[in-house]
Amino acid sequence: MRSRLVTSIAALAVVLAACSSGATPAPSAPAPSAAASVAASPAAASVNLTIYAAASLKAALAKATTAYEAANPGTTLAISTDSSAALETKIEQGAPADVLLSADTANPQKLVDKGLAAGSITKFAGNLLTVIVPMANPAGIQTPADLAKPGIKVIAAGDTVPITKYATQLVANLAKQPGYPADFAARYTANVVSKEENVAAVVAKIELGEGDAGIVYVTDAKTSTKVATVAVPDAANVPATYGGVVVKASPNLAAAQAFLAWLAGPDGQAILASFGFLPPS
Amino acid sequence: MAAGRVPRAGHGWGSWSLVGVAGLFGLFLGLPVVVLVGRAVVDGSLARALGTQVVLSALALSLTTTAVSLVLTVAFGLPLALVLARRTFRGSSWVEAIVDLPIVLPPSVAGLALLLLLGRRGLLGGPLDALGIEIPFTTLAVILAQTFVAAPYFVRSARTGIAGVDRDFEDAARVDGASELQLFRSITVPLAGTALSAGLVMSWARALGEFGATIMFAGNLAGQTQTLPLVVYGEFQGGDLDGSIAAAAILVLAALGVLVAVRVLHWGRVLDLRSLG
Repeated sequence: MRSRLVTSIAALAVVLAACSSGATPAPSAPAPSAAASVAASPAAASVNLTIYAAASLKAALAKATTAYEAANPGTTLAISTDSSAALETKIEQGAPADVLLSADTANPQKLVDKGLAAGSITKFAGNLLTVIVPMANPAGIQTPADLAKPGIKVIAAGDTVPITKYATQLVANLAKQPGYPADFAARYTANVVSKEENVAAVVAKIELGEGDAGIVYVTDAKTSTKVATVAVPDAANVPATYGGVVVKASPNLAAAQAFLAWLAGPDGQAILASFGFLPPS
Repeated sequence: MAAGRVPRAGHGWGSWSLVGVAGLFGLFLGLPVVVLVGRAVVDGSLARALGTQVVLSALALSLTTTAVSLVLTVAFGLPLALVLARRTFRGSSWVEAIVDLPIVLPPSVAGLALLLLLGRRGLLGGPLDALGIEIPFTTLAVILAQTFVAAPYFVRSARTGIAGVDRDFEDAARVDGASELQLFRSITVPLAGTALSAGLVMSWARALGEFGATIMFAGNLAGQTQTLPLVVYGEFQGGDLDGSIAAAAILVLAALGVLVAVRVLHWGRVLDLRSLG
C-alpha cells in the first residue's frame, strides 16, 4: 500500500509539472477572440473593472462607483482597499487588478519601473495631514506638540504605508517649528505603541479609544464621526499627491484608462472634493 | 482455519483511486510548505533573515509568548477539562460549546472581542485602569490573545482524554487510600497522557501561528508585540517578498522542530494526534 502511495504521488507530481508548463500558452489563445468580440459590440459588452485603491479613498470611491456606473451602463467597478504598498506588492505578484490608485506616486512608479504599468502615472488627488484623537480626548491633546508628552499612546501605520512617510516628514517639519522641543521626533517615535496595516486601521483604533492620537489624512478625519481633530500648522503640513496607473496585464485596458481619466476629470474631481480631497499638486 | 487464500485488500481500481485521492490531497497539504522552505533556503534569504534584528526579536518573542501561553493553558485548562469531564450539571453542554467557540471564531473577531472586554474603553477597562493595568499594546496582550484562541484545543482534547479514563482504576486507587491529588497525578494524567500531549501540541501550534487576534488586540510593535506571523505579513505588505518568505520559513522550521522533538521525546508513549477529540 505504501509503495503504491509513493508511486502515485510521484506520478501526480510529474503530471502536475507537465500541466503547469503547458498551461501558459493556452489562456492567450482565447483572449484575442474575446477582445475582438468586445470591440465589435462595445455598447452590449459588460466590463468589470477591479480597482485597487488606497485605504483613504474608500468612502470617496464608493460614491464615485455609483456615479460612474450610472454614467457608463454595462461597466461595474469592484473596489478593493488596503495600504498602497500592500496593493502594489499584490499586483507585482499577479493579482488581477485593472487600476492602482495609490496615496503616493512612489508605488505607481514601482509598477512603471517594473514594466507592469500601461501608460504613465495620472495624478488625481491631493491631501493634507491632521492629528486625530478619540472624541472624548482622554489624553487632553491640545496641539500637535502634545504628541511628545510622555505616556501618550500614538497609533501609527506600518513603515511602508504612504501615510507613515508623510507623517515622518510632518514630525520632522514640526520639530523645526517654534515651540516644539528639539527631540520632538524622537519623543514621538518613542510614543508609538502600534504600527497598523493601513491608515483605516489607525482611524479604527482611535475611534475605539485604544490610542490617544494618530496622524492621518484630513479626509479620514472628515469621514469619521467618532474622532476629533487637532489642527496641524499649515507651514509644517505635508501635501500628499495621489497617483493612479493602469495595470498592463489588465484585460480591459481601454475601460481602465477611461475610468482613470474620468477620476482625474471634472466629475471625478467634484466627488473627491466633496470628501475633502484637494486637486493634485 | 481457512483452507484457501483470503483475497487481500489492496488490489483493483478501487484501491488505486483511494490511493490516488489520498496522494493528491497529501500533495496539496505538503507541497506549499516544501516550496516555501525550499525557496527560502535556495536563494539564501533564510540565512540572511536569521541575521536581522527584526526576525530574531520576533522569533524570540514568539517562542517566549507561546511558552507562557502554554503554561497558562495547562494551569487553567486542566481544571476546566476536569470539571467538564467529570461533572455533569445543567447547562454543561452550553459551557462546552462556549469553551469550543474560540476555535471556530475568525481570529480578528477574537481580537475584537478581547478589545471590547479588556481594552481601555472595554467592559473591564475602567476597573483595570483603576488598578493601573493597561493591557492592549503590551506583551501580556499577545499572551492573552494566544491563550484565548489556543487553549480550547487543549481543553477539548484533555476533556476527552480524562473522560476516557476508566473510573474503576480511580475507584480502586481511592479504596487503597490515595488522595485526590495523588490519584490525579498517578492514574488520571498518565492514562489520559496521549490526549493531553496531543492537545498541548495543537494548542502550542495554534498559538505560534496566531495573527488576527494579536494584531487587533495587542497591536504591532517590534520587540514588544510583533510576533513572527506579524513579520511575515508586514514584510509582504511592505514589498519585501524575500523577507516575508524567509520569516515564514523560519516559522515553519520552528514548528517542525517542536513537532519532531515532541515525537522523539514522547514521554514514554507514542504521540497519536488522531486521539484529538
